[in-house]
Amino acid sequence: MIWQLDLSILTLIVICAFATIMVKDLLSAAIIFGAYSFLMCLLWTEMGAVDVAFTEASVGAGVSTVLFIAAVYQTTRKVGVRKSGRLLSKAVALVATLLTGLVLLIAEADFPDFANPFTPASLHLSPYYIMQTLHDTNVPNIVTSVLADYRGFDTMFETAVIFTAGLAVIAILRRFKKEDRCDLPEPYVISEAHPDTIIRFIARQLVPFIQLFALYVVAHGHHSPGGGFQGGVIFGASFILLAISYDFKMVLGIMSERWNILLGNIGVLIYAGIGFLCLLLGANFLDYSVLSKVLPATDKIMARSHGMLGIEIGVAIAVLAIVISIYFNIVSRGKYDKGL
Amino acid sequence: MDIVVIMLTVIGLFSFFATTVGLLRFPDFYSRMHAAGKGDTLASLLMLLALALYNFHEVNLANLLVAIKILSIVVFIFMASPTATHAITDAAFESGVKPWTKEPEEES
Amino acid sequence: MDSFFIATGVALCLLMLLTLHRTVHGPTAIDRIMGVNVIGTKTTILLIIIGSIYHRVDMFVDIALAYALLNFIVTIAASRYFHHRKNLSSRGYGYKFRAEDD
Repeated sequence: MIWQLDLSILTLIVICAFATIMVKDLLSAAIIFGAYSFLMCLLWTEMGAVDVAFTEASVGAGVSTVLFIAAVYQTTRKVGVRKSGRLLSKAVALVATLLTGLVLLIAEADFPDFANPFTPASLHLSPYYIMQTLHDTNVPNIVTSVLADYRGFDTMFETAVIFTAGLAVIAILRRFKKEDRCDLPEPYVISEAHPDTIIRFIARQLVPFIQLFALYVVAHGHHSPGGGFQGGVIFGASFILLAISYDFKMVLGIMSERWNILLGNIGVLIYAGIGFLCLLLGANFLDYSVLSKVLPATDKIMARSHGMLGIEIGVAIAVLAIVISIYFNIVSRGKYDKGL
Repeated sequence: MDIVVIMLTVIGLFSFFATTVGLLRFPDFYSRMHAAGKGDTLASLLMLLALALYNFHEVNLANLLVAIKILSIVVFIFMASPTATHAITDAAFESGVKPWTKEPEEES
Repeated sequence: MDSFFIATGVALCLLMLLTLHRTVHGPTAIDRIMGVNVIGTKTTILLIIIGSIYHRVDMFVDIALAYALLNFIVTIAASRYFHHRKNLSSRGYGYKFRAEDD
């Protein structure tokens, strides 16, 4: 904890947050929000939470900003202004914010001190994980082992939540008919972007390496910051890069909609399937040590490590498919004909 | 070794400072892009080189791998940052941002 | 050496503050895209400096590489928006639901 850097980064974050709200242009607000996400990731790195910082960098600063820009692309850039009742709405917002802050401050007074070593979490739980992880599962990264093994149920439902989010976007936006009753008129200034040789060349050269890096992040999650979520998002971001620099139809030719949804399903099924396999072999759900009966030449400890790798692969496949699906649906307004 | 690291870091920091001053003070969008695109890439190269050299307190395989990874970041920034500069400048030109011209001097 | 790196980090944050001025006050939206690109590059450097202060650079290098990648992708996406919708300000653009909307 370096207090000098803490103070400077926090000042920058507060300025970015104010700027996001006050700028009267939705595209600029989305871009400044991207800068806010960059700085939040820096703050978490400085506190030592590297896995969280990695996820914030890939999801918040990368894909989320692109999704905001895609949404602004298909709707408007103007900020809606109320014609009447502005003072009342601002007063209500101020009172609500102050009340929520007051409630949170009163709740925070009951928390233990910041680095107190005698809280129940630090006395009973953390020493167990710190001392037993390498001995139980042979995985040096404690965050990955807690995420994928000791608390495997939560991660399975997180993956299901991501899958449900993709389903929700499809349910709201996807339209199959050519003409539709609720079709909004096209915005005014529309034009086809001319093909840009430099961006296409660089994207074509970089995308294989980006995908290789994403696979490395998934596979190396046991020993370094990384894991399934971050690797899947970076893989999806490589497809988004192709879709931005080339035509939308070209990426649909590579990854069709049918295969995309199939991959999303396969990802969640791999996770639940491994848990179910453990059930079939005679132990509890998601108890990987019985996989040593099926995998050749592993003992119970290495079977847990391999089980964690299996579910990380499932999470990565699911996240990759859902990120691509959400981007496709938002940027083409559900029609899958042309996009950003 | 420490002297080299400190010198490279100071030169990199000076390049970042020149980039930022150029970003604030140039009168025109296109000159600001010159400052941002070129100065940023050079400054990143110098500072990342210094941080890769700082690693070598003891020369073994792990430190060599970390230095190679930092150099791969340098290669990536070299390829990607000028492309991003080109993309932004192209967008500005297509959208009609006008270059700054000097007003003609009045005849006295 | 640690205090030198902390001083470098604080200097980089100060430079980020100056860049934020351009990002917030830039007259067009494209100035803001450029400002975010510059902030992203400085953040990549700052990540590895933090790693050097903690003496564990090997943990932070992967994050820095992912960072540089996503900085590039966000900048390309934001500038491709302007290749399609060639309108610098946000006035005079949008869905016209009523006659007086604009």
